[in-house]
Amino acid sequence: MASISARRLAKELREIQGEGCPVGISLLKADDFATWWFSIEVMGESLYQNEAYTLQFRFDSQYPISSPAVQFVVTDGKQAPIHPHVYSNGHICASILGNEWSPVLSVVAVCVTLQSMLASCKKKERPTDNDRYVRTAPENPKKVRCHLPKSVSSANSFPDTIPL
Amino acid sequence: MTLSTVALPSTVNSPIMNVQVPTVNDLRVKLCYICREEELYDAVDGENPPRAWTHPCKCTLIAHEQCLLKWIQTAQGSSSRAPNALKCPQCGAAYELESKDPWILKFIAGGNRVLQKLGSLFTVFGAATVVCAVGTSLYIICTTYGAWAVQKFIGKEMFDTLLTDDPSNWPWTAFINLPLLPISLILSRFQSTNELSPIIPILLVWPPTYPVGERSRRLQDYWKKPENSTRLGSLFSNTPSPTRSWPPSPVLFSLFGLPIIRMIYRSCYAHLYYKLMGTRLAVATRDRNRRGLRFEEGPFVIRIRANVQEEGQQQDQQQQQQPQQAQVDPQQQQQQLQMVDQAAEEIAAANQDQDPDAAAVAVAAAEQLIEINASSLGRRVGGALMIPAISSAMGSLLFRLSKHSSLLRQFLGVRLGMGSKKFPLPPPVVMELFGLEGEWEGAGLVKQFVMGCKLGMAALWGGTRTWAESDPIWWRNTVGLGLFIAAKDCIHLAHLWLAKRELESRKVKNRDFQGVDIRELDLIPGFPQP
Repeated sequence: MASISARRLAKELREIQGEGCPVGISLLKADDFATWWFSIEVMGESLYQNEAYTLQFRFDSQYPISSPAVQFVVTDGKQAPIHPHVYSNGHICASILGNEWSPVLSVVAVCVTLQSMLASCKKKERPTDNDRYVRTAPENPKKVRCHLPKSVSSANSFPDTIPL
Repeated sequence: MTLSTVALPSTVNSPIMNVQVPTVNDLRVKLCYICREEELYDAVDGENPPRAWTHPCKCTLIAHEQCLLKWIQTAQGSSSRAPNALKCPQCGAAYELESKDPWILKFIAGGNRVLQKLGSLFTVFGAATVVCAVGTSLYIICTTYGAWAVQKFIGKEMFDTLLTDDPSNWPWTAFINLPLLPISLILSRFQSTNELSPIIPILLVWPPTYPVGERSRRLQDYWKKPENSTRLGSLFSNTPSPTRSWPPSPVLFSLFGLPIIRMIYRSCYAHLYYKLMGTRLAVATRDRNRRGLRFEEGPFVIRIRANVQEEGQQQDQQQQQQPQQAQVDPQQQQQQLQMVDQAAEEIAAANQDQDPDAAAVAVAAAEQLIEINASSLGRRVGGALMIPAISSAMGSLLFRLSKHSSLLRQFLGVRLGMGSKKFPLPPPVVMELFGLEGEWEGAGLVKQFVMGCKLGMAALWGGTRTWAESDPIWWRNTVGLGLFIAAKDCIHLAHLWLAKRELESRKVKNRDFQGVDIRELDLIPGFPQP
């Protein structure tokens, strides 16, 4: 019997492949149940119009009890969006990726939340402590707790996550 | 297992209809919101054993009980997630846990929490106590050192008059000034040319201090006796300037004397340096650059710099020591040349097998040595802390020498007859002794103010009478320290000069071809062949 994490990820993957992703989000790579890549683009008018970013999910064996490690890909010429809650190394300061993570969330739900985080941005700028953070940050974004004043909450991500 | 059910108001209010409220077991498809596994109500190949389902909140989310319990347990395990552990992520309703939770467990858990709180309090207070203890002992050490330094510098008698060994007699300023002394001494070693000499704090701080304690009261009693106060009358006129104008008052000396002497000394030193080394003492510009850097850099780098100078940039070090060279009287400059010769002989003997850093080549080589060398750091700090002892030793040496020379005695202002020998020092506040109190009380506010100013200025410029009339140990100690520094500079200069001469005079010894087969050599035609 495959682990709970693998079975749930398999199911999420089947749903993505069957029903497709929400507009602006597409699966780039899901070769295993450890690392998935998504392309994420903000639809409609926003500061990030016509800019596509790559989002990386890393899962451990405790998923979905433990949250996935989510960050923007900044290698291979890719860049993280300039946003008050996104560090230049791709790490994201969002509470749903940390202490507000809940198993009810899914990979697609996280993508949608981060998409709306970009869409609602008023000013393109890096977090104030970007340089210091990037210098000292560990490789895995889950190992740091972010302290930015207003981090992205999970408020708008739940309603359509679970088919009822 | 059913935990809670949603009871619609209508069903509650109409018992006749007796509508059954569905539970989680009545769902056709059950989907766990955690593991996303589905289960059909009529599944034949259902899991074995069947897994329990639960509907813990007020919305439609359901989950395997085991999944939910695992989630709750994990979330409760981290303090940041604990607040959300027992809450539905969708409707926010609180989960109710039913468990074996007897009062004894609650009691123990509660006790554990209290202990945890107390423990963290203890951590804070313990850390604070340690910090306080370390700080206090450092403070005590610094203060003790400060008191020792002052006693060394102004002499035992003055120390007993102004401070005494008993800290309860000290004025409150002493508790700030004394611990700062060692710090300022050490800092002065790491500061550049224009900083104040380490002695200045001592000189500036102590003159206006009035005698304290039991001894002071005894002094006043002594001087109030008629037979003594007549003697006092002959000693003091009512003018604020002391009867003797030499040596200058400490304040006057440190404010004006020191800078002037320092300037003269520096130019003499530069002149001597030029004569000996053949190059200018071209430190002014570099020194300025260094100082610019120093202000921006942390203490760690300062130490590295200090060490680099110690190792090689001796010209710089020369300049660094300038603050301490200030006390040297110009007339002592002539002694320098003789001393150079003496010192040169000593060092030549000591350093023959060494190849000390010298001149520009050595400076360049030593630039690379940016390693902290504990001993040289210790040398710096230790040297700074030794200053009071050195000046005291030099002072007493001068005092001993002065017994053989009246000129020196005059210069040092030695007053054998005045101090403890015949009668104790008079207290500085002579007002009381001369009955000025009455005049003070009778005077108007303006006059009181003027008198206060006069006394204050007199104390500041002339030093207090205690200073003026005591044997000026501080003066010969200052002169002694100046001499010591001059001597040290001379030795250093001699060292530099000798090292430079050694470098310049180097030659590789030239040998003939003794022992080499002559046929292997391509010799000029005229060389006599064997």
